[in-house]
Amino acid sequence: MIAGLVVSPRARPAMAVRFGVPLASLIVALAVGALVLLAVGSDPVEAYRTMYDASLSGSAPIERTLTYATPLILTGLAAAVAFRMRTYNIGAEGQLFAGAIAGSWVALILPADLPSPLMLVLMLGGGLVAGALWAALAAVPKAFLGTDEIITTLMLNFVALALMNYLIFGSLSFWRDPRRPVPQGKKIPDAAELPLMSGRLHAGFAIAVVAAVQLWWLLRSTTFGFRLRTIGDSHRAARYAGIGVPVATLIVMSISGGLAGLAGAIEISGVTKSLEPRALAIELGYTGIVIAAVARLNPLGVVPVAVLLAAISTSGSSLQTVGVQVEVVVLLQGLIFLAVTAGEFFVTNRISRRPTATRPAPPSAPAPASVADVDEPSAGLEPMTASPTARTAP
Amino acid sequence: MNDTVFVLSAASALVAGTPILLAALGEIIAERSGVMNLGVEGMMLFGAVAAFWAGVHTHSLTLALLVGGLAGTAMSMIHALLAVTLKVNQTVSGLSLVIVGSGLSAFLGNSGDTPLLQAQNGVDVERLLPRGLADLPLIGPILFGHDVVVYLTWVAVAVAAYALYRTPAGLSLRAVGEDPAAADAAGLHVVRIRYLATAIGGFGAGVGGAYLVLAVLGTWQTGMTAGAGWIAVALVILAGWRPWLALVGAYVFGALRGLGFTLQIAQVDVPSDFLTMIPFIAAYAVVILVSASPARARRVAAPAALGEPYSREER
Repeated sequence: MIAGLVVSPRARPAMAVRFGVPLASLIVALAVGALVLLAVGSDPVEAYRTMYDASLSGSAPIERTLTYATPLILTGLAAAVAFRMRTYNIGAEGQLFAGAIAGSWVALILPADLPSPLMLVLMLGGGLVAGALWAALAAVPKAFLGTDEIITTLMLNFVALALMNYLIFGSLSFWRDPRRPVPQGKKIPDAAELPLMSGRLHAGFAIAVVAAVQLWWLLRSTTFGFRLRTIGDSHRAARYAGIGVPVATLIVMSISGGLAGLAGAIEISGVTKSLEPRALAIELGYTGIVIAAVARLNPLGVVPVAVLLAAISTSGSSLQTVGVQVEVVVLLQGLIFLAVTAGEFFVTNRISRRPTATRPAPPSAPAPASVADVDEPSAGLEPMTASPTARTAP
Repeated sequence: MNDTVFVLSAASALVAGTPILLAALGEIIAERSGVMNLGVEGMMLFGAVAAFWAGVHTHSLTLALLVGGLAGTAMSMIHALLAVTLKVNQTVSGLSLVIVGSGLSAFLGNSGDTPLLQAQNGVDVERLLPRGLADLPLIGPILFGHDVVVYLTWVAVAVAAYALYRTPAGLSLRAVGEDPAAADAAGLHVVRIRYLATAIGGFGAGVGGAYLVLAVLGTWQTGMTAGAGWIAVALVILAGWRPWLALVGAYVFGALRGLGFTLQIAQVDVPSDFLTMIPFIAAYAVVILVSASPARARRVAAPAALGEPYSREER
């Protein structure tokens, strides 16, 4: 650190810090993004204004943004609940595909004249269960063998993607519309479509917001939420307290996978109306991880952050008109993720002037060399900040 | 005899496995020092786009590989800053590298007047050894028909294995990864060693991505690693953090990735989507199998302080 400054852990970060630091990180990320845009010869001010106009000004853009935010809220919640327990489910992408495959299957196999509410409950329920089951493929080995869930959930993403591609592009499956020469999914019956709330915004958005509130309540005010947070802080402490870690792992992974699966079924019901791999494989699951990180794993925070990232995503294509490639969207997401991750240091640590009387400033040294001066971050305060319990060695 | 299905697939497995091996080898070095960098996929992508750009402009394989490696190193330094200096959660930091790397590479690959997406490969990757050797029966095409990078990778594996177990530097690296406090007390510079190991890890991933785009695929495509970086991360665990085992594993995964090609010449009809799945299902299954193995064998393998930031207590 710079001579004269001392880093010490914060006991409990103040409200202003917990909200202010991610916000500042966001601004830093957008500033770095602006520099990148400048570097490739684009006007960042014009680019950002275009993005704002395309996503947040006027009712049609806002409806489009909220529609896009719907699956992102759910995948963000999926990541948030799992990361809270330091179970790194990065398989929301694949669990979403599983939910989409199952949800469309339910909608197509049921009689088309079923009452819409019943149809929707069965379809979305099917997606939820499928997502939870797909997550179980990683959760069961994790719970009973300690298998690293980061690797397994990620590998399963690629498997689910290939499976979905096979169902539409690689075969004449039940999901594919046989009447069309171009590979395309069969359209679901009208009864399986989510009702519209305003303009093109479907009711899935309300479902996602309700899920966020419920998850917030679950984590904050129930014994289960307390157990989950205890496990996130320390596996050993949880075991001493008599909390069953394997069972909690299974439950949390089911909730996480279920939320992602629900997102997949809602996308089918509200947006694509059929199993469309190209419309679904747009990294909704991975973006959920970014959202959870920016929201600092708070379910209520996931909602506004998801809307913000949805705004960035939906406005990407409009940037073509000002000569900026649509790929800038993922770049901005990455920068935001990075900035917020770095910002965690400032949430957990206080940087203050070293009192000159007690100890002289150390001789200036290259930055990495003086790191030994940094105190242990207050371990276990928030799972995002503390060091992970050593990855279970295989 | 030299154009049988077996020989052709074995030869292609070596080429397809080389990027995974380079990335895994780098990650082994990084993780041996206690730094878990999950950003391999992102570093490979950034290394690949940088190398492809360098290749288009310089037509030099050496320069392109070097630029790719340095690009990977540059990204890994972000992780080192976050994970070693700022001590944020290493898992989250690594994941953020993946997203930054895929976003940055996609953006750079499609920017400018002549985007790399439409560019021709700037470098020729030629076989190294004289024709006569490659014409030897059986082992000729499998072992001697490759370009220089394949052989340099063998050298790198040998050097890494030797350095890890037989040199003071390797001992220091492993000490820092096993017990940073003891290493610190013994006078080792934990932070400096971890930065260096992370940098080597980034270089391996960057060169791996460079080789993938220059020699295996030949054109830049957005997101072209398609999970190769994650396979490399899995491979580190499967190989028990040992370089020679990583070499074996990488070629097995290379063979699995090239299975479509193999089955095609063997005239077996399997849907291509299932072929895509196979390496990922294999990695999934093997990670579970490894974790089911006896606990003692596992404890020996993994660096004890893997993923743990080190901070010296208040002096």
